[in-house]
Amino acid sequence: MSSKALRYFDWALWIGLLALASFVMRSVRPNIEQSHAAFVYILIVLGAAASGEQWLGVLVAVLGLLSINYFFQPPFDTLTVGEPSDVLALIAFLATALVANSLLARARAEAQRATKHAAEVEALSEEVRHAEALREASRLKDMLLASVSHDLRTPLTAIRALAQDITIDGSRARSHAEIIVSQVDRLGKLVADVLDLSRLKAGGFSMNPELNTAEDLLGATVRQFSGVPEAHRIETVIDYSQPALVGNFDFVQSLRVMTNLVDNALRCSRADPVTISVAQTNGSLSFQVADRGPGIPAAERDRIFDAFYRPADANVDGGAAGLGLSIARQLAEAQGGSVSYADREGGGSIFTFELPAAKLDGELPIAE
Amino acid sequence: MLATRKPNTHMTSVAAEHYRLLVIEDEADIRRAIGAALRDHHPSIIEAATGQAGVEAIDSTRPEMIILDLGLPDIDGLAVCRSIRERTSAPIIVLTARHGEGDTVALLNAGADDYIRKPFSTQELAARVTAQLRRSRVPAVEHETIVADGLSIDVHRRQASRDGTLIRLTPIEWELLSVLVSDPGRVFTHQQLFSAVWKRSFGDARLYLRVHVTNLRRKIERNPADPRLVITEPGVGYRFIETS
Repeated sequence: MSSKALRYFDWALWIGLLALASFVMRSVRPNIEQSHAAFVYILIVLGAAASGEQWLGVLVAVLGLLSINYFFQPPFDTLTVGEPSDVLALIAFLATALVANSLLARARAEAQRATKHAAEVEALSEEVRHAEALREASRLKDMLLASVSHDLRTPLTAIRALAQDITIDGSRARSHAEIIVSQVDRLGKLVADVLDLSRLKAGGFSMNPELNTAEDLLGATVRQFSGVPEAHRIETVIDYSQPALVGNFDFVQSLRVMTNLVDNALRCSRADPVTISVAQTNGSLSFQVADRGPGIPAAERDRIFDAFYRPADANVDGGAAGLGLSIARQLAEAQGGSVSYADREGGGSIFTFELPAAKLDGELPIAE
Repeated sequence: MLATRKPNTHMTSVAAEHYRLLVIEDEADIRRAIGAALRDHHPSIIEAATGQAGVEAIDSTRPEMIILDLGLPDIDGLAVCRSIRERTSAPIIVLTARHGEGDTVALLNAGADDYIRKPFSTQELAARVTAQLRRSRVPAVEHETIVADGLSIDVHRRQASRDGTLIRLTPIEWELLSVLVSDPGRVFTHQQLFSAVWKRSFGDARLYLRVHVTNLRRKIERNPADPRLVITEPGVGYRFIETS
């Protein structure tokens, strides 16, 4: 129904109700007094006013006044006022009806103003949120640029200088080439991480959760480090007396989380073993990567998962741009998991990567 | 566009063990790098900069090995791969980007033999090429016994043992192992393994593939947490380690 039609309906409804009430009360006039009729009319005036039309309220009040006078004040069925007290009653009725009408109209206007105000506040806070998101994006971009100036240029400078030196004297090619390869690997990792981070920020990562086993992920993690000199420090702890633990997760992205955590643990601890273990707790697969490094000071714990975070005493040429933990946490959260930090008893860090566990129903299918 | 690194007269004079390699890659520098990495062992390298030129080169040069870049400017990599497969059974190695697991799987399912992610090391590329050529050269004979990392597999008698001790495998674990060892070194996608092992659809059985692989590893690997026999290709599938 359109607002205009609704308005006509309101007017017809309340004037019709007034007429109906007058007819009903008129038919039982010997049994009621004019005060009873006045109460009924006041109710109708309040109803009309509450429907949203101030002038409808005024009209119904006037019609009510006339009806009281016409139907319920002697002499009946005329507009003549017989007693002075009847005049007083009519004035009291009209005043009550109009004041109530006006109060209702004001309350309604207040309510409308409040609604409008709330909408404005909501719009404003939406703008503030948007501005904050922009500021965050801008901050990230600033940090990215700051990082680019060092993390990208350092290897580029080294590569350029070494390659130029080879063009002058080819005899140094072999030793230079080894450095160039390592610098290119460093660049490649940084570019991949920055791309991932921006895709994560833009929500452009599509996760493909499937039934996978924890062991498969753990084995693939260990394999990622095969050929790396530090790989011998990686230890795994799996309870083979239990059936394989299964979970619903994206294998490729979870492998990246694990690789980042193990890479971080290897870098933070010089010579001690890095232990990877997995257990199932409360519906989650809980992968733990534990090292015997210096741990994270309490003051820095909230920041270690920030992009481009580097510990205050970190060696800036360590090859890490401070993106690994940030990406790990975001990749975990994007598939309903988490990455958290805890102190390790006896010194060091434990990073816990949790993923939704799955349950195998019944027997595994058998091939024919 | 089709560029041939060596003149045809030279190509015909190449010794019999030298194979013609076709490199389909749009970036000239990458073609050059691949050429530099492989030329010592494979002097006949044919280059194509587009999918169209690559497919045409299959007919005109009959290469024994194809290296195919996934992101070609003119034709979708999958379509190129299918066109190549229609024309030749020569092994195809796909060059793929890091985030292209889905494309890689589709290409392997469409007949590619192996894949290598960019940026790749040239030694790794050379090793993959050599392995693929060796496999394509040797006819697929049914080996009676395969030995890898101390594990002995008697294909004929359907038995696996380590240090003389027989390993008890379930029928499905045996099926999985026998598919994997039927072509050691080859990547089998999840879909290929599923089709080969289960033969027909078992509803959700596909989900259990990874669980069976894990159980198989617990029985045949020295350290299941660091598998050396059944290798996970993340997001793609599994392969049995190259035995020769």
